[in-house]
Amino acid sequence: MSESDMAIIKPDMMKSYIWLETSDGSIQQVEQEVAMFCPMICHQVLQKGAGSSKNSAISLPHKVNPPMLSLIFDYCRFHQLPGRSNKERKVYDEKFMRMDTKRLCELTSAADSLQLKPLVDLTSRALARIIEGKSPEEIREIFHLPDDLTEEEKLEPLKNTMDDPRIRLLNRLYAKKRKELKERAKLKSIEVEERVDERSVDDLLSFINGRDHKGVNTSKSKKKNKKRKEHKNGTCKVFNKDSHNLHSKQRSVEETSSSSLGRVSNLHSMEDDIFSKKAEFEDGYIDDEIDPALKEMLDREVEEFARRLNSSWVLSVGQERQPVHFSINGNGDTRRLTDD
Amino acid sequence: MMIQEKYTGRYQNLKVAEALSNNHLYPFACNELSSIIDLGFSRFPKDLKAFIFRDCLSAFRLLPDMNTSAAVSAANLLVKSVESAFPKQKKNLAVVEFKQAKVALKRRSKSHEEHIDMPSLPQDILVHIFSFLDVSSLLSSSQVSRSWNQATCEGSIWRSLFDLHFNHKVFIHIHSGIDWREAFKNEYILSNSSKMLRSGRGYCSYCDSIVWHDNLRCPKKQCRLKSGKKPLDLMLIHQVVNYLLGTTSSSDESDSEDEAAVRGLWAYPTLQ
Repeated sequence: MSESDMAIIKPDMMKSYIWLETSDGSIQQVEQEVAMFCPMICHQVLQKGAGSSKNSAISLPHKVNPPMLSLIFDYCRFHQLPGRSNKERKVYDEKFMRMDTKRLCELTSAADSLQLKPLVDLTSRALARIIEGKSPEEIREIFHLPDDLTEEEKLEPLKNTMDDPRIRLLNRLYAKKRKELKERAKLKSIEVEERVDERSVDDLLSFINGRDHKGVNTSKSKKKNKKRKEHKNGTCKVFNKDSHNLHSKQRSVEETSSSSLGRVSNLHSMEDDIFSKKAEFEDGYIDDEIDPALKEMLDREVEEFARRLNSSWVLSVGQERQPVHFSINGNGDTRRLTDD
Repeated sequence: MMIQEKYTGRYQNLKVAEALSNNHLYPFACNELSSIIDLGFSRFPKDLKAFIFRDCLSAFRLLPDMNTSAAVSAANLLVKSVESAFPKQKKNLAVVEFKQAKVALKRRSKSHEEHIDMPSLPQDILVHIFSFLDVSSLLSSSQVSRSWNQATCEGSIWRSLFDLHFNHKVFIHIHSGIDWREAFKNEYILSNSSKMLRSGRGYCSYCDSIVWHDNLRCPKKQCRLKSGKKPLDLMLIHQVVNYLLGTTSSSDESDSEDEAAVRGLWAYPTLQ
């Protein structure tokens, strides 16, 4: 065809556009060949004849917001051209994937709701590369996910949770401790202070009291709690008293259970730390550095414990990347742990 | 002269330096360097020592970019090996690099901590992402949060892992209620996989070389095409070191235990 022929034909072959509406209500039009690259849009156009005008704009799933849509269409615009070589596509893809994790997640969701499988694959692989080789805590940090599993659940699949009462006790203690630590972190910014702290301590104490003496002491500890709330000044002393209380409770728990609960004595010493930290807190000072270290120690404690209860497989796999070595934990126990 | 070239040639075949700049392989490469230093440094010819020294320096320089706890552990171990085996001057240079790296790491870890709202990924996408992970990363993911844990329970992931790791050597009776995770776990323990996977190394018969395996396969495309479904022969660290040294010590338990003990001595965590 001569160039003049082309010039005549071109205006006839006007680009057709598809109308799309995103969740925020804004409507835009996109070149047909680009939009049709997405199976979901394609389906809407072909089966329902939608998208041909502003009024019949295809409403997109709510996960597709305007910035994601424009990213997706950049991708489609590049790939829908048949003339591209495999190498070109690969290079484009690698460059395209360079974005922060949050955007990657958004993009994956958006692409998935538009059924654009090649892009979903691409983003999923990129996310997998981010996850690879990281510890659970590191992953949680990157993806801003809550630490909402109990220690036992982490080591065995949720459907197979163990029914061992010792594990349940330990888990509850740790869960309460976690809550406490979190609340203290929140309190630093909100300044609601003692109230919240007390309650979690109360919970812990009454739980332990209740557990050991089958509810006989709970009324006593409740009275103690009420007194505490009324007399702010006496809190320091009461805390110390209660820490001794806890101490003795821990001891009796220890003695009645088998030796594998010996680790709980370490928990006790940590709780002493926390209680004395509370006293400091009332002076308006918190030593933040302790919290993550304590958390780590907690995690390690449970790891050791569960290992002894035969859930060791999960952790042993994680050791692939760690060399086999020994370390002595901070309490001076001779038992060896895995490091870091 | 011939012997010296052989050592250096073999060391270069191992491609340790390349692995160091790979996020996933960094800890494996550091561990291998540690073992090589522990088990033979004094015997090496001068130029091999120089290569190893150079790679240790790069390992420390790259540490801040790696930024995972596994990387930090591996680097700690490496510096221990360096401290025991290197001559004074080189040792000091290496330790300085290491310390600078730790400082840089500390600086980086203080930077983040904004509370961002992350979009939550639907379960089937999580399952799809997890299908690309190796076992160890998959189990880490299962400990992250409730929704992630549920996604890791998906049978199809474990089935394909089972296929990948064990299909070529295990005949398994597949019945309708089969728990693939359990099946995988049992076989994993039986075949001592944890130990075998620790080095990150495999032997590829198609290119006749020791490689850093990519999910149990040779990283070279031609080899993957030729081998089909068959995974590489995994190697233990001491076997890799044997290759380098040209020794043929027996691959029994005592060797790896010695290694572990040797590493254990030096793995006392460095206090910050």
